[in-house]
Amino acid sequence: MENSIAWIFIFPLFGSAFVALSRYVNIKLAYPISVLSMAGAFWAGVETLQQAVASPNHEISYLLGGWTLDLYPRGVGIEFRADILASLIALIVLGVGLLVTIYSKIHVEKETRNKEAIYYSLMLLQITGLAGICLTGDAFNLYVLIEVAALTGYGLIAMGSNRAAAASYNYLILGTIGASLYLLGVGYLYIKTGTLNMVGIREVIETHGLAGSQTMQVAFVLIGVGILIKMAFFPFHAWLPHAYCNAPTTTSCLLAPLVTKVMIYVMIRMILSVFGVEFSFESTIWVSWMPWLVVIAIVCAAFLALSQREIKRMLAYLIVAEVGYMVGGVWIYNYYGLIGSIFHIISDACMTLCLFLGAGIILHKCKTTHFDGIRGLFSKMPLTVTGFFVGGFSIIGLPPTCGFFSKWYLITGGMVSGRWEYLVVLMFSTMVMVILFFRLIERIHLAVDESGKNLGHGHGDLGLSNEQTRFDEAPLVMLIPLLVAASTVLLIGVYNQEVVNQIETFLQAYDMPTGVVYK
Amino acid sequence: MKLFSLIPVLAIGALLLWAGQDFPKWGDLASPASKSSVSSHFIAKTGVDTEVPNMVTAVLADYRGFDTMFETVVVFIAGTAVIAILRGSSIGRPRRKDHEVEAEPDLIVTNTVRLIVPVIQIFAFYVLAHGHVSPGGGFQGGVLMGASFILIALSWDLEKAMARFPIERCLFVAAMGIVLYGGIGLLSMLLGGEFLDYAELEKIFPVSRGMARYYAILGVEIGVGFTVASIMFVLYANLASEGRLKEGL
Repeated sequence: MENSIAWIFIFPLFGSAFVALSRYVNIKLAYPISVLSMAGAFWAGVETLQQAVASPNHEISYLLGGWTLDLYPRGVGIEFRADILASLIALIVLGVGLLVTIYSKIHVEKETRNKEAIYYSLMLLQITGLAGICLTGDAFNLYVLIEVAALTGYGLIAMGSNRAAAASYNYLILGTIGASLYLLGVGYLYIKTGTLNMVGIREVIETHGLAGSQTMQVAFVLIGVGILIKMAFFPFHAWLPHAYCNAPTTTSCLLAPLVTKVMIYVMIRMILSVFGVEFSFESTIWVSWMPWLVVIAIVCAAFLALSQREIKRMLAYLIVAEVGYMVGGVWIYNYYGLIGSIFHIISDACMTLCLFLGAGIILHKCKTTHFDGIRGLFSKMPLTVTGFFVGGFSIIGLPPTCGFFSKWYLITGGMVSGRWEYLVVLMFSTMVMVILFFRLIERIHLAVDESGKNLGHGHGDLGLSNEQTRFDEAPLVMLIPLLVAASTVLLIGVYNQEVVNQIETFLQAYDMPTGVVYK
Repeated sequence: MKLFSLIPVLAIGALLLWAGQDFPKWGDLASPASKSSVSSHFIAKTGVDTEVPNMVTAVLADYRGFDTMFETVVVFIAGTAVIAILRGSSIGRPRRKDHEVEAEPDLIVTNTVRLIVPVIQIFAFYVLAHGHVSPGGGFQGGVLMGASFILIALSWDLEKAMARFPIERCLFVAAMGIVLYGGIGLLSMLLGGEFLDYAELEKIFPVSRGMARYYAILGVEIGVGFTVASIMFVLYANLASEGRLKEGL
């Protein structure tokens, strides 16, 4: 299709307006409209990725309003640019959005009674915002879409438990600071370069040699710090655990895999497309100390995760640690590290989705996600638990899952670039994650019930145990998205070479070093 | 604690001042921003491209119309989020009566409002429709329109205002505003252009390409006006009555 890139946002945008209108007709329509519009958007995402891969220079440009690109610097109108990276991440966003929308039926009816239409409307706009962030080629348009994604996020989180409003307020304050810093940075870019188009900005920086300019340096710092706040990088992570734990289940399933990952994508986009590799890594001092911040971030987040006694809260701190991985992969300034980072965005979205969907089902069935409430769960819900642990094994990095391969590239990057501190901290946090998940496995599989009878199977048969599948398993509408997510984790793992090939094709256009650069 | 928070403030302030040294000189022709053909394109071509005399309106609603569409969506989100959070949140909690005065609506105030509300509303339409030529447009017109209802709520009570603009209908109008804006964009896409390429509307309307953009800008401004006006009132009504939609301030 010719306009597939536009359909990506048209479907959920109109979907959300129609969902909001559905309360005047029949509120039961909200769910089918949401699922249909997400399915349409996902199809458009697949089309866009195929077109981007097939096109000669591996990117498609879409001019909103049909304004020209011929001028120098470009940027009369707003441009959507779908290169392979953008369309890949957008596809992940849409895929996660589709699965969570399908999954949401029971939770939304239960947790946000009488507000379904509003809830779905905000949810679709959240996905619109996130997918738009991936595809836009305009620095100010990116800010607008960040606002769309953030505001819907505040609303979606605040609809949760009693403490959700306070958690959402915290998030709002920090999120607004982050977005304001970003906007200020874009203002500085504009005053120096006279365009807002990302590629246009880079062209001006390169032709006019603006790398040494103080204004540009400060713009880089403002944008960088703003994005780090938005992605919950360690010292700025305080909003995340509370927000995700008190939010409605579906909200945390949607936000946890996407928001932080999309912001890391924005960081990579800023480095590669707006400032350029040379400016970001050679003209600033971030390369020398960012990996050390990453080390602190991962160690602290790992310890915080270790001290939690509740699944969702533990997962929230795991996300903070994972953010550290990806930021580190970028700032070790290495080709393989960057591949690892991009691949990890994809695999982390899938595995976090698995974990949060699983935790949501456990919450639905057991009414708790505290470690004490889940003993012997495997015999009750074998499929759910299996799906959950596929995600868990991927976080640890066990071979057939995609988490292994992305971590492999991150570690390779750390070794090749000689940033041993990053390598060590990756190993350390892997071990912490082994402890975290095996502690859960111990409780879920090897548990004994009150009467002393051993319910668990323990060893081996994590898969299809026939009689027990029927034994009080979660409803299909929740189970199927989880299993699809789990098989995606495995499939991306098995076909990792395909994904890496695409990322390598994308990175050909950028000049990343493959050896030691940092002294 | 206050001293502690002063440190980042001073640090960022110093950073911003330091960056300011390097700003292009006022009117410096040699700076890349002045040489940029983007601004000169706006200055030279706006009238040709869109037939709109007011350059700001053309940049807002046409050159960067996609941003404006999502700004409208942001306004819509603000309204729905407030409804989502406040509605039903105060069930069972007694209403605080700190600042309340029991009194009949004041005679002078209500009669003045009776006089000026129609004027405000007509002026709102004027600002909306005249945005092509003078400062104005959908956001400003919408705010004026919303303010006229808030004024009624302030001088009588919320019920009186809601009798004129029921809160249930507000969300409908707000969503319709988005559908109108997006619909014009979608229509131009289905006619063979890109999304929001209003010029393609010439195929179904008997006007030139420039005038097609001119009228489409008016259309999207009306959409913006719908959303902004109703969301203004939704925000006031929900916040003033803590989501009860009764009594209010």
